Amino acid sequence: MSSNKPNPLAAKPGTKGVDPRGPRFGATITLITLTVELIFLLANPEALSSSNSLAQNFATPAGILLTYITAIFAIGAFAGIAKHPYGAIFKAVVRPRLSAPTELEDPKPPTFAQLIGFIISLAGLVFAVLGLTTGAIVAVAFAFVAAFLNSVFGYCLGCQIYVLLVRAGIVGRGSASA
Amino acid sequence: MDLSLILLLIGGLIVVSTALGLIIKAAEGRVKKQDGLTRIDPSALGEGIEFGKIGTLLQFSSEFCTKCPGTRKYLEQVAKDHPGVSHVDVDLTNRQDLAQQFNILQTPTTFILDDSGAIAARIGGSPRPEAVTAGLEIAIKREHDSYVI
Repeated sequence: MSSNKPNPLAAKPGTKGVDPRGPRFGATITLITLTVELIFLLANPEALSSSNSLAQNFATPAGILLTYITAIFAIGAFAGIAKHPYGAIFKAVVRPRLSAPTELEDPKPPTFAQLIGFIISLAGLVFAVLGLTTGAIVAVAFAFVAAFLNSVFGYCLGCQIYVLLVRAGIVGRGSASA
Repeated sequence: MDLSLILLLIGGLIVVSTALGLIIKAAEGRVKKQDGLTRIDPSALGEGIEFGKIGTLLQFSSEFCTKCPGTRKYLEQVAKDHPGVSHVDVDLTNRQDLAQQFNILQTPTTFILDDSGAIAARIGGSPRPEAVTAGLEIAIKREHDSYVI
């Protein structure tokens, strides 16, 4: 039997899917910022020190850039992937040059992925402000791997974690029209 | 820190990430032979669903799944090319019970059922053409691990 029902996967009326190329574009910009952050941390590991005041560590290039990265993840996680700043760049600059998306994607998994990115970069920022350079490097390296997989391979690690949590019943699915 | 050491560390991260990505991609769309002991009742999937006389390509999809429509189109064509083989697409969005029962961790996931409705093989992700052919062969010849009459 080959069913002829309407495609159940297309965005339903009243629901909003996202162009899957948007989050991937955003991951590429995130990957670049994370690479610069790694260079800051590795090039001058003594800039962060536990003998500095928190404000002194915060005001280093590594501290400022990591604050920016964390803030971007926070917007994606709490305002939703549809309101992501890099998504806005994608919509304004990149998408008009591409063909229309063949399919839309559920916004919830990439939004959750932003939350994971936020938690990891926030942990890195806490390490940085406390002057623990190695901890900050490890956190940024984890974020780097995830952004790399998303950007280069189109594999969203955070989205897979979301699916597993839904499956385990830890995260509720909620209504798709949210 | 020395510039060459910085490049080495970042290069190392790129190598690790690339290796991870290649491993993930290599596992996608490949056929995995099943034991053939789990038989699916078509009525459990939804009303009016019927399986093929020879075999069935049972696709599980979800809402807003980027690779599902392409998979659907491809498997429909395979079913058309093989008389007796049918394609069934089940949306898991409101069927978490099925996802749990069959341990489906990604969509699309495709089960290849034999003529009795037993799961002969499964493919996670966008199926490769050779994986579908191999899966159908397992189902039609009943080469799954332990068929019980």
